[in-house]
Amino acid sequence: MSSSNGEYPDIPIKLNVNGRDYVVTVKPYERLIDVLRYKLGFTGVKEGCGRGECGSCLVIMDGKLVPSCLVLAVRANGSRITTIEGIAPEGKLHAIQKALLDVHAVQCGYCLPGVIVAVKYLLDRNPEPSDEEIMEVLDGCLCRCGTYPRFLKAVKLAIKYVREGKTYFDVKEAVEV
Amino acid sequence: MLDLWSLRGELAYVRREDGFVKIGALTTIDDLYNSFLGKERKYLGFVDLYKGFGAYYLRSIATVGGNIGAGHPLSDAAILLMALDAEVKLVSKSGERMVKLNKLYRGKRELDRRPDELIMEVRFRDTPDNSSTALLKIDRRHGHSMGYTVTAAYLELDGNIIRDVRIAFDSMGEPYPGRAYKTEEYLRGRELSEETIHGAYSVLESEMKRISDYRAPAEYRLDLSKVLMKRALLLIRDRLSKG
Amino acid sequence: MAKPDYVRIVEEVFERYKGKPLIYIGKHILRWDALAKVTGKALFTADFLKLYKNLVWVYSLRTRYAHALIKGVDVSGAERVSGVLKVITANDIPGVNDVGYVIPDQPLLAYKKVRYIGDTIALVVADDPYIAREAAERVHVDYEPLPVYTDPEEIVDLMTLKEKPHTSIHGERDSDIVAHYKIRAGDVEKALREADVVVENKYRTPMQEHAYIEPEAAISIPEPDGGITIITSTQCPFDVRRAVARVLGLPQNMIRVIVPFVGGGFGGKEDVADELGAKAALATYLTGRPAVVVHTREESIIGHSKRHPMVAWYRHAARRDGTLLAVEANILLDTGGYASLGPFVAWRTTVHSTGPYRVSNARIDTLAVYTNTIYSGAFRGFGDPQVQFAVERQMDILAEELGIDPVELRLKNILRAGDRTVHGQLLTEEHGVGLEEAIKKVVEASDWYRKRREYTGERGRLRKGIGIAVGWHGNSIGVEGADYSSVTLIINRDGTITFRTGLMDMGQGSLWGLVLIAAEILGVPPNYFRIEQPDTASTPDAGPTVASRATVMGGNAALVAAYRLRKRINEIASQMLECSPEEIVVEAPRIYCRSDPEKETTWQEVVEQSFWLGVPLQEFGYYRAPRAKWEEETGRGEPYITYTFGAIVSEVTVDLETGQVWVDRAYIAYDIGRVINPVGAEHHAEGGFIQGMGYALMEEVVHSKEGWIYNPNLSTYYIPTMKDTPREFHVFFVEAGYKRGPFGAKGLGEPSIVPVAPSIVNAISHALGIRFYEIPLPPHKIYLLAKKHGLTKI
Repeated sequence: MSSSNGEYPDIPIKLNVNGRDYVVTVKPYERLIDVLRYKLGFTGVKEGCGRGECGSCLVIMDGKLVPSCLVLAVRANGSRITTIEGIAPEGKLHAIQKALLDVHAVQCGYCLPGVIVAVKYLLDRNPEPSDEEIMEVLDGCLCRCGTYPRFLKAVKLAIKYVREGKTYFDVKEAVEV
Repeated sequence: MLDLWSLRGELAYVRREDGFVKIGALTTIDDLYNSFLGKERKYLGFVDLYKGFGAYYLRSIATVGGNIGAGHPLSDAAILLMALDAEVKLVSKSGERMVKLNKLYRGKRELDRRPDELIMEVRFRDTPDNSSTALLKIDRRHGHSMGYTVTAAYLELDGNIIRDVRIAFDSMGEPYPGRAYKTEEYLRGRELSEETIHGAYSVLESEMKRISDYRAPAEYRLDLSKVLMKRALLLIRDRLSKG
Repeated sequence: MAKPDYVRIVEEVFERYKGKPLIYIGKHILRWDALAKVTGKALFTADFLKLYKNLVWVYSLRTRYAHALIKGVDVSGAERVSGVLKVITANDIPGVNDVGYVIPDQPLLAYKKVRYIGDTIALVVADDPYIAREAAERVHVDYEPLPVYTDPEEIVDLMTLKEKPHTSIHGERDSDIVAHYKIRAGDVEKALREADVVVENKYRTPMQEHAYIEPEAAISIPEPDGGITIITSTQCPFDVRRAVARVLGLPQNMIRVIVPFVGGGFGGKEDVADELGAKAALATYLTGRPAVVVHTREESIIGHSKRHPMVAWYRHAARRDGTLLAVEANILLDTGGYASLGPFVAWRTTVHSTGPYRVSNARIDTLAVYTNTIYSGAFRGFGDPQVQFAVERQMDILAEELGIDPVELRLKNILRAGDRTVHGQLLTEEHGVGLEEAIKKVVEASDWYRKRREYTGERGRLRKGIGIAVGWHGNSIGVEGADYSSVTLIINRDGTITFRTGLMDMGQGSLWGLVLIAAEILGVPPNYFRIEQPDTASTPDAGPTVASRATVMGGNAALVAAYRLRKRINEIASQMLECSPEEIVVEAPRIYCRSDPEKETTWQEVVEQSFWLGVPLQEFGYYRAPRAKWEEETGRGEPYITYTFGAIVSEVTVDLETGQVWVDRAYIAYDIGRVINPVGAEHHAEGGFIQGMGYALMEEVVHSKEGWIYNPNLSTYYIPTMKDTPREFHVFFVEAGYKRGPFGAKGLGEPSIVPVAPSIVNAISHALGIRFYEIPLPPHKIYLLAKKHGLTKI
């Protein structure tokens, strides 16, 4: 992207994404989602609407849950960002990912990264959220396949896993169903 | 286009000072909720604001200054602050001035703000302990939405008598938020009851002009405004009866 | 004509496995792609952009007017912008400038005329998407605006069905009526005379937007030999290939279409991918560079097909005892600026127009007409949800008029095995007709009779209601075309299996059902299989992934391939183990003789042996459905191979003060012949309900009088969220086996939305004692009607 738009300056920014530092050059109008997906390759972050209305582009930025399509890249300079690719160490699944598999809450999968990041954010702040708190956070994640009833089941199962000390699972363990 | 986010350090605050509650323009909806405004009984309207403000993830990037400055009728923060009789501090190189929120809007997305002025702060008088606030809206789905209409109310009760009341809506007839002055006047000094509120309906109808558009007919918006006004006032009464 | 071998195989398997315990079929098994999706590793079309360098971005300049003549187009201003490589117009198209799906009425790039607000006039190709968009503003188009029509009743009179005088939308055709389908059965006049009660009403259903969370996208890549490879989010890769080859004037084998992970389709990605694929390919063809077209949400809403809005007049005649005597209907479908799949939708609408009931006297006329709204095409249900809404409302109103319980009225008239449909098609046990059982399941589970009585008496602000609706849905494509499907199974040398088909996954998971079928027949666990992504270069043309056909048609193809492979495996194993082929038991990795289990070997050894023996272990499975029969003038025939049946009971709470509705519980039952993949089936029941609930309560694309869209994004076009989801789902499946389905299975993709909206509206009607004739029913509509009926006073 943006190879020849000479009218606008090239601005270098520093980001820490999923634990690693990156330096990228951006145009002033580029969004964080563009940087994450196309410059850094984190295509787990999805674009569904570009207006902060669907929740598929959610990332955790400096401890807050934000829609990356509404954050200008320059504003993310110096930030720590976690995307779905970074919510669990390599070879492992976070409790919510495992729970989604266990309750069979996967259809087209496009909304899942947003849901997963939102739940990770929720459980990191409060490992025992109420139903109301769960609904509050997930309300903004649109799913057209209609997996909503299973999302709630999955979150409750993830809470149980975390309570039992199982915040992470081996990927191999997860798929032996 | 200028990005002001780097001024967050200076312009994001919620504090009490000189009998006012002062909120910096870059305070997010999330910040409001996490401050004392999200915890005190008299400011429960800010909890309503937070819970109804679009999707959860917007609340950490949406700012009070942005909500006021956008000049859109469905600006929840502006409506609640209007019910708190708030004023806005506009600052430019040539100085600063205070403008009451209920005088700030002039037309569709048009503010009484010169191009060289910045919204720095919004403030309102710290309210008495026997008062509280509420903000209500409904839409065609139960999930995050803008609302058919938005109602915010401030109510101060002396026993069961309405000592003071302020009611703001997304629109009283103009394409920006406004207060229902005549309705407030009608209610002031009366006993708070469903009958009193029903009596206020016709007063509201006389000063509110609703439009019909593709989202809803005027009749519905008017009726809904009455219903939400009633619910907001009764909700505040409920809040005051608890600790 | 002798029965084709593949039909014989399907029927044999159906008989052999009837009543037997199954190992994989009917079990909840984690789908093959779940891990890729929960880790965010699954690549959807736009994700591939990170892999390509030197891309050009293609931005569609769309019309300012919904209906206008184009007097001239001047692209020079845009071409001069730095970073713009080319601005493509109709003149630059090397082949045929058309992407019409059924009839060639839809230019890829408009040149003489524009007919709806999304019509594309020029493509700005630049190496930065922002430059492309900004440069588009410098394209100058000279328009001569024409009158804009946004209501089908401006084109045709609903009662006389005559076209009204208007400025022609498709002047190249005789008329703006695109299609007209009929049913003429029995003697309607006589039935009307004999009837004890006649109910007639007008119904309206809205334009519904698919709102899949992944917007449309296409990437095209130039190949060294002049060919073009396209990666795109499509339900019909072979149609994309055909369309792109046509637009570029290239042979089909020079175009390769690959389908990666797709984030939802619901019918919305049947024809629009032809358009995007052609746009990207054009840019590649003319610049020699990889090209990408990605829609923003607004472009998606404005620029792809929708669900046909319907206006219909219905008349039902019945006897005092509830027997249906006749059904009449005039049905108008608004197909918008272009036909898209409109003609097919109009046909399916007609076939289903009387509901799953015994109706011997019927007069149905369905017209699809052009207007200047966004063109309508395929959307889950394909006309059936529209008419089923009208029919199920009619049935409830009849029940009211007759003083009969709505469930009783349904039971009195529904189709059972041995009955003929309104087209005269005899339905037998072989088709599987499980509607009665489905109704009984939901009636019992919901405690229908008690709640129906109890809720009727309420007087408070919150009113509860309970409603029922039934539905039917013909499987696969009927007369729309040649109905075939195919699957290639390849057993690799190490015993793992490669599964290839042109059917794709858009989240519905039916491919997993196909694997379970093959797994069951071969005797190997599903995790031996790897599903290849659809690729016109290597996966066989299996027909489009539409019409709830993947499980039945694809499933049969998979079944046939697996059956033949199993025969060969049995042969080889029997030689190795010295017992007869019929005795070979495969429980991979173990293979043994049933009569003497000590005689055993492994799957891998048998596979290896067949390589040495020169016995090929790949098989192309093909299944073709018998030709559907349909008489144009009377609607007599056998339109579909079988029908899926469903019944739903919905419970609602309505707030009289605001008009808000909560759907509290849903009781759902579908006769799908045999449950192959229960996870997928449950997903459909739940997800289809939620999408149908949106259709009933909140969704509508709204056009202004000038043909602009008021609500082209997700904050103004409302789809259900977590908070709108019913608290309780009770899902049941009935297995009234279809003899020519794989293990008796029938489809569920579309049936799972058909009865939803009417069940909810019937419940709201019950709650308020008011009749409703249109959807959606957002709070303001319900409130104002309740107020008009004196239920609320303010």
